[in-house]
Amino acid sequence: MRPKHHHPKRNTACLFVVIAPKSPNCCSSRHCCCLWELRHWAMDLDMDMDMETLADDTDPALAGDSGGEAAEAERYEAAEAEAELLRDRLRLAVISITTAEGKKAGMTVADPVVTCIADLAYKSAEQLAKDAELFAQHAGRKSIKMDDVILTAHRNEHLMGLLRTFSQELKGKERASSERKRKKSSKKDERVIDV
Amino acid sequence: MDEDATTGNLCAAETFDPDLIHAIFKLVWRRRAEKGSGGNEVIDVEPAPETSRRNRSTTGILELDGERFPANASALKVSCELLRIFVTEAIQRSAFIAEAEDATVIEPTHLERVLPQLLLDF
Repeated sequence: MRPKHHHPKRNTACLFVVIAPKSPNCCSSRHCCCLWELRHWAMDLDMDMDMETLADDTDPALAGDSGGEAAEAERYEAAEAEAELLRDRLRLAVISITTAEGKKAGMTVADPVVTCIADLAYKSAEQLAKDAELFAQHAGRKSIKMDDVILTAHRNEHLMGLLRTFSQELKGKERASSERKRKKSSKKDERVIDV
Repeated sequence: MDEDATTGNLCAAETFDPDLIHAIFKLVWRRRAEKGSGGNEVIDVEPAPETSRRNRSTTGILELDGERFPANASALKVSCELLRIFVTEAIQRSAFIAEAEDATVIEPTHLERVLPQLLLDF
């Protein structure tokens, strides 16, 4: 039996029907992948680890058919290793934030939830990087400013407002620190003049 | 003064490291730059010189500055804040649903229910 949707990461059938089942990228939607992964973690963590290693082994094998693509596969593997390291560091940070938040709400957070949120945060960070880069390029700039990052949150007005107030606070703090520096330097000048 | 110190400590402990976020950004940009240059090699035969030139110019902008700092410090701080709000929202929304069910542990089923709206908002 042919599965209707092929989960690209796990190389198995995808359990969830997505809005556009005929599109080839249907399984790349974050919702689908995350739900699938949630159920999988809840069922069996060990099997998950085995399947992940299997998938990682097969993916470069599939990609590296010709000689020219072997180098690409190597680069892909190196990038994947780096990404794994970053994902682990992010997961640590997410664990600390979630445990603190859970304490505030007076509840404990289950492990699969934390892992899923960490994965989502990583994917959000990737999306954020892509969007901010596009916005900066669109404005003809070579570096990313605060406004680019705030623009990426345009889907939610409330979120944008929160980020704007945060950015204004940051600007205020920077101005205050730079004024203090200027005052210090002007005091030094006065002392020199007096002497 | 003591209260400020404690709240300051809480804020510092509960947010992401800007260096980590910067590292993730650089990885993504490097990947995109490589994809862009790899795509150009394939497009050789196609009669679209304008698009390939455009691709090169767009990948060239951030690729050159890849080793320097394409994102300034305040942009990194704001993106840290954004990710922190994301995680906090996820936990708070799931806690809301868990409380409605009188549960003490946040289960994946609670997260499942908030996931669609969360992903649409972010």
